[in-house]
Amino acid sequence: MILTRSAIAKAVEAGEITITPFDAGRLNPNSYNYSLGEEIRFTTQKTLDAKANAPWLTTGIPDEGYLLRPGRLYLATTAEVIGSTTFVTSLIGRSSMGRLGLFVQVTADLGHQGAIHRWTLELTVVQPLRVYAGMRLGQVSFWRTSGTVTAYGGAYGDAMAPMPALPTSLT
Amino acid sequence: MILTGSEIARQVGLGRIEIDPFHEDQVNPNSYDFRLGFELLVYQDLELDARLPNKVDTITIGESGFTMAPDRVYLGSTVERMGSDHYVPIIRGKSSLGRLGLFVNMTADLIDIGSHNNWTLQFHAVQPLVVYPGMRIGQVTFWVPEGEIELYDGKYQGATGPRSSESFRDFEAQA
Repeated sequence: MILTRSAIAKAVEAGEITITPFDAGRLNPNSYNYSLGEEIRFTTQKTLDAKANAPWLTTGIPDEGYLLRPGRLYLATTAEVIGSTTFVTSLIGRSSMGRLGLFVQVTADLGHQGAIHRWTLELTVVQPLRVYAGMRLGQVSFWRTSGTVTAYGGAYGDAMAPMPALPTSLT
Repeated sequence: MILTGSEIARQVGLGRIEIDPFHEDQVNPNSYDFRLGFELLVYQDLELDARLPNKVDTITIGESGFTMAPDRVYLGSTVERMGSDHYVPIIRGKSSLGRLGLFVNMTADLIDIGSHNNWTLQFHAVQPLVVYPGMRIGQVTFWVPEGEIELYDGKYQGATGPRSSESFRDFEAQA
């Protein structure tokens, strides 16, 4: 079951959901709006290799915004630390951003139960799009689970910066 | 929990799910197939800015179809007016269109509970693709929520056709 606005607020208060910082004004009927963090990472290497690390560059987002270009993958993070050991987190964009042709994740919107961190966003655009640090970019929803919980102990569990893929997680 | 097709039909009958027009033969085992309206919006400028209103042109999809280009965002809408004050809708494309490289939403598949509209679809074609008005374009699933329900009262409520992004309003609110 997906949590409603009031259920999310109660779970945050009870410590069952972490959203830091938390602003009740960002609650939607069944999700919470998160913000874009201040850093963006990208690689100039054209072909990515699932078995090898690419050199990722890091840049801050200036006040005048950062222009995302089609045909390239950018990694960023949520400004907030988000997660839950009680519920499953699903992370997507807001429809206002989808309407501008922005993907905030490529295929994997499902978070692991127990992962509490700044979520890495996988940004890619259809048309060039200027984005701004701190803007409301996406939304997270929380889902009740069924069965015994195995807490996440994966490679990205405590990440606070945009994390490129770790080839070792694919072997 | 996700509703089954027969439960979706039953809830439509009870008035707890709105799908208008509703046709039994568009019910799937766990979803309902919705159709593509005849209008598409396309942004006038290639370069978009999340902080500014981005102007759009309206395209009417003729019976002979319209070819979507990979380098453009197209905003369409569902023929049906849909929504629920009791279940959370999540939209998907149809696998038949996924197999043709068409995204029907970019990033935001989740609909707010209480949002009743002809929903805006966010199209991106990986290869050029011809689409037709009234064709089955996607499917909606309905999910049982947990907790007290507060209904959507946002900026896109009551839309009767495709609506372009109003993300610039977030910046006005922050200023």
